[in-house]
Amino acid sequence: MHRIVTQHSTEDDLTLYYYGEGRQRADIERHLESCAGCAAAYAEIAGTLAMMAAPEVPERGDQYGREVWQRIRHTLPERESSAWAALASVFRPERLAFAAAAATLVLGAFVAGGVWTRQRADAPATSAPQSAGTSAGTTGGSTAASGDSRQRILLTSVADHLDRSERVLTDIMNAPRGDISAEQRWADDLLDASRLYRQDASDAGEQSVAVVLDDLERSLLEIVNSPSTISAVDLEQIRRRIDAASLLFKVRVMSHEIRQREQAPTTLPRTSTRTTT
Amino acid sequence: MDAIETAAVLARARQGDSDAFRALVEQHSRSVFRLAFRMTGNEQDAEDVVQDSLLRAYRRLGTFESRANFGTWLYRIVANCSVDLMRSKAARHDRSRKDTLDEAVELPAVNAPGPERMAQSAEIEARVQDALRELSPLERAAFTLRHYEGRTIDEISATLGLGTSAAKHSVFRAVKKLRIALAPLRSQES
Repeated sequence: MHRIVTQHSTEDDLTLYYYGEGRQRADIERHLESCAGCAAAYAEIAGTLAMMAAPEVPERGDQYGREVWQRIRHTLPERESSAWAALASVFRPERLAFAAAAATLVLGAFVAGGVWTRQRADAPATSAPQSAGTSAGTTGGSTAASGDSRQRILLTSVADHLDRSERVLTDIMNAPRGDISAEQRWADDLLDASRLYRQDASDAGEQSVAVVLDDLERSLLEIVNSPSTISAVDLEQIRRRIDAASLLFKVRVMSHEIRQREQAPTTLPRTSTRTTT
Repeated sequence: MDAIETAAVLARARQGDSDAFRALVEQHSRSVFRLAFRMTGNEQDAEDVVQDSLLRAYRRLGTFESRANFGTWLYRIVANCSVDLMRSKAARHDRSRKDTLDEAVELPAVNAPGPERMAQSAEIEARVQDALRELSPLERAAFTLRHYEGRTIDEISATLGLGTSAAKHSVFRAVKKLRIALAPLRSQES
C-alpha cells in the first residue's frame, strides 16, 4: 500500500515533473491523485505548455550547407597559427580598431619611406632604426635598410588591400539579388583601412594609388550603405558604377604594378620582412 | 561521414585547412539553422546566427578538444550566439512586440482561411510567439532547449554555461511568464 503524500508540490516541482525531471517523481504522482489543488495547478501548467507547439522550421534544402559556405568563406577569420596569419587578422571586424592603428603605423612608414628614399643618400648609415610611426620630418635615426623595409611593408599592405577589395567587388558583381550582408561586412572591414591608405598615399605623392583608392572607397561606401537585402535594381546600379569607373580593372592593374615595385631590387631589398597575407 | 573520417576532417580543420572546415559547414549547417530558428523564432535572425556561429566556431577551433563531439560543441556555440543576438535586439523588442500585438488583435475570425478552429489556432500561434518574445534572452534560450529541444536541466546548464540552479530557474521563470501571458487563451478554451 502506498503511503499518502501530504506535502503540496510547488509550481517549480510540477514544471520539472511535467518534463520528466526532478526528484520524488513518484511522490508527486501519488500526491496529484489525492490533492485537487495541486492537480488543478498541474493541469494549468500542462495545458499552457501543451499550447507551446514547436514552431515549424522553414525548410532548408540539400544545398543549404554549400550556400552557407559561400556566404562565410570570405569572412573566415584568419587562424592565428603563424605570424603571417596573425598580421592578416588585424583586418577582421573584431580587431578593426587595431587594424586602424596598424594601418596608421604602416602608412606612417610609407611617408617616412618615401621621404627616406629621397633622402637616404645623405642620411647617416649608423643610426638606429626608428619606429614605423616616425614622422617624415624625423628620419634622421633611420637606416637605409629600415626605410626600404618600411616602404616595402607599405607596398605589400596596399597590394594586399587591393587584392581583398578586388575579391569583394568581384563578389558584388556576381552576387544574386537578395542578401549581401556578408559582402557588406567585408566591405566595411576594408573601408577604414582604404581611407587611411588613400590619405597617406596622397601625402606621399603617390597620386595614382590615391586616385584608385578614392574610387575604391566610394564603391565600398556604397556597398556598406546599401540595404542588406538588396533589390535587383539597386544591385545593378552599384554594378554599373563599378563598371563605369572601370574599378575592377584599375584595382587589378594597380595591385600588379605595386607588386612589381615591391620586387624591384634597387629599392626593395629581398631581406625585408614580409608582413601580410 | 563516419567517425574516423570526421576525426580526420576535424584535425585538418583545426590546423587551419579551410577545405576541411568547409566540409564541416556543409555537414552541420541545416541542424545549426534548425536550432537557431527555434531559439530566435525568426528566419532572418536564424540565418544571422548560422553565420555568426560558424565563424565563431572557426575562430575557436583551436580550443576544441579532439575527443569531444563536434556537434555538441557547435550546438553550444549556436545556442550562445542566439542568446547574444537576442540580447542585441533587446532595444528593438518593444516595437516588434507592439506590431505583433496589433496583428494579433486584428485577426478576425471571419477572414480566417478555414473554419473557426483554424482562426483560433492562428490566434494561439500569434499569442504564443508574442509570449515567447516577452521572455528575456536567457529565459527564452533555456525554455527552448528544455521544451523544444528536449534537453535536461543539466544539459541546458552545460550548453549555456550556467549553474544548474540558474538554468533551472530560467526555465521556471519562462514557464511562469508564459502561464500568465497565455492565461486568457486558456480561459477561452475552457
